[in-house]
Amino acid sequence: MNNAVEFHGISRRFGGVTAVDDVSFSIAAGETVALLGPSGCGKTTILRVIAGFERPDAGTVSIGGRNVTALKPYERNVGLLFQHYALFPHMTVAENIAYGLRHRGADKREIPDRVEAMLALVRLQGFGARRPHQLSGGQQQRVALARALATRPSLILLDEPLSALDAKLRQELRAELKQVLAAVNSTAMVVTHDQEEAMSLGERVFLMQSGRIVQVGTPSDVYGRPDTRFAADFMGRTNWIEAQVTRRETGFARATSRSGLSLMVPDCSSDAIDICVRPENIVLSAADAADPDGMANSAKGRILNVALLGATRQILVEMPGGQQLLVMQANRVGDGLDPGKAVRIGFPVAACITMPASNRAAPNASI
Amino acid sequence: MSAVTAIPLRKPASAVPALGRTTLLLLAPGLLLLFVIFALPLLGLALESLKQYVPGRVGSATDAPLTLENYRELATPSFAGVLYETFKLSAAAALTGLLAAFPLAYCIVRRFSPRQRAACIGLLVMLVLLSMLVRTYALELAFGSVGIARPLLLALGISPTSRWYIETLVGAGLLHAIVPICTLTLLGTIQNIDPRLCDAAQSLGAPAWKAHLGITVPLALPGLVSAFLIAMTFAISAFVIPMVLGKGRVLFLSNTIYTRFSDVANYPSGAAVSIVMLVISLLALSLVSLVRPRKGAGS
Repeated sequence: MNNAVEFHGISRRFGGVTAVDDVSFSIAAGETVALLGPSGCGKTTILRVIAGFERPDAGTVSIGGRNVTALKPYERNVGLLFQHYALFPHMTVAENIAYGLRHRGADKREIPDRVEAMLALVRLQGFGARRPHQLSGGQQQRVALARALATRPSLILLDEPLSALDAKLRQELRAELKQVLAAVNSTAMVVTHDQEEAMSLGERVFLMQSGRIVQVGTPSDVYGRPDTRFAADFMGRTNWIEAQVTRRETGFARATSRSGLSLMVPDCSSDAIDICVRPENIVLSAADAADPDGMANSAKGRILNVALLGATRQILVEMPGGQQLLVMQANRVGDGLDPGKAVRIGFPVAACITMPASNRAAPNASI
Repeated sequence: MSAVTAIPLRKPASAVPALGRTTLLLLAPGLLLLFVIFALPLLGLALESLKQYVPGRVGSATDAPLTLENYRELATPSFAGVLYETFKLSAAAALTGLLAAFPLAYCIVRRFSPRQRAACIGLLVMLVLLSMLVRTYALELAFGSVGIARPLLLALGISPTSRWYIETLVGAGLLHAIVPICTLTLLGTIQNIDPRLCDAAQSLGAPAWKAHLGITVPLALPGLVSAFLIAMTFAISAFVIPMVLGKGRVLFLSNTIYTRFSDVANYPSGAAVSIVMLVISLLALSLVSLVRPRKGAGS
């Protein structure tokens, strides 16, 4: 038994709507995957099918080598971490953690020790007698994690685990969540619409769109080599340049954009292409400077506006032909990147992800 | 990760703001109205209950001496019987109603589509607002001693004039009114319970029924208590239902009060029965409302 979870040909329809459309995947034991997609893409239905709250219309679910498709939620050992924690408000923290142990038939004498061990795991020793409403959001989330892990589930499902927390706490908890999941060596699936959460928690990302998994890969694969416009847009900010290949040379191709920019892009098979350039891969320099080193693509433009985000700035640059490019630049003191200023942009061949223009018509490509 | 810090255990109870002039001005009409139509008449009733009854006279004489005679006269087995009957049937009906209403309310909130929910709530509100007299006579015509169901009852060996049958019928009459009221009361309670709590319990190994017993019911306890109180208050003061369905064999306190005031015109005694009913009801209700869930539940 190598795979902890096998999802085979699962479909689920609600009335006339197909929420999950013939989805198959497997998760290796001890692996953490992220199921990522926009709201309404069917990821919550997949979570509910794995947990047993929904019966699929077709397909089978196996957990730990056992076919569990027809089993009730309480007959599977799947831990669930809810977005809003779902702690039992009328029980203490210790009673919350012990709940699963009691109902899974753990030895009564061992329950207190196990509860203590779980509290230690999430670093909440001494909080056992508190009630959930006496804890902060982050603490409640950790109690929920302890409760879900207490029964040693064969799989733990995390539903938007961090989205109810504020940004600073989210970063802290993200690290801790990763650490705890690694410590108990559990198989986990994070279900989220937040690509940062998915990339930071998942060893692999399953990207979903309209009830189907459209791309599977490591976070850097899915971010750096998106298969579709949808994937590129969903994983992060991108610049799109529509272009026509004019000449092919060894290892790269020359193309001209619709706005008249000449570009060097990685070799590609089709002639009409869309080029995706991530904002952080574009470098800005002074307008009169020589072409920056290693930047095969370079042109003059003018800064339209600057949005300060703290450590970074999003700078919108307009090129002579009207093409606008978004540039992510570190917020350095005194570099004079102000609106109206003429600048030179540059990006290497490797920063260009090319897609056949025919991909443009992909379903729900816009988000 | 920062050191584990506890947030304050409980926010201090928010201080009640002092009543400003505007507030008092806004409260005045309501308070005045309550005083004139509620407190004042009740005070008069209490006073009347202490007056001496002069047979043949409607109401007490204005200069009659104060006496406890009207209360002493109530310490009889027959009055205690009426008291017992009232509370026994009311409590039974309120409990049964609650048991019937809880799953009904749960189903309406959790299982029905918004349209079905609206239809159900509309129906329940209509039931509550429909004339009690009409509903009670409908019950009497169906299940009473000369009702449509008479042949069926006789075939089952049930005598429609037996005491237990009449008691059951009065109980059914009370239920008829209590179930919609309780259901409507519980809708909000159930709406406020996060359905994911039950999902969480099930994912932790509890079958659905255990999850409901251990999670839904304790969290609904405040709502269940108030629904019971409302049902109980309603049942104790029921008048039409025991009168029509009880046919003089089952008497509630309200019927006794009515008889004293209207049939024998013994105002002081009627007032005394009323005060006794009021006091006992308040005592019973405050006793039930002591059932408070543990801290933090349902918040």
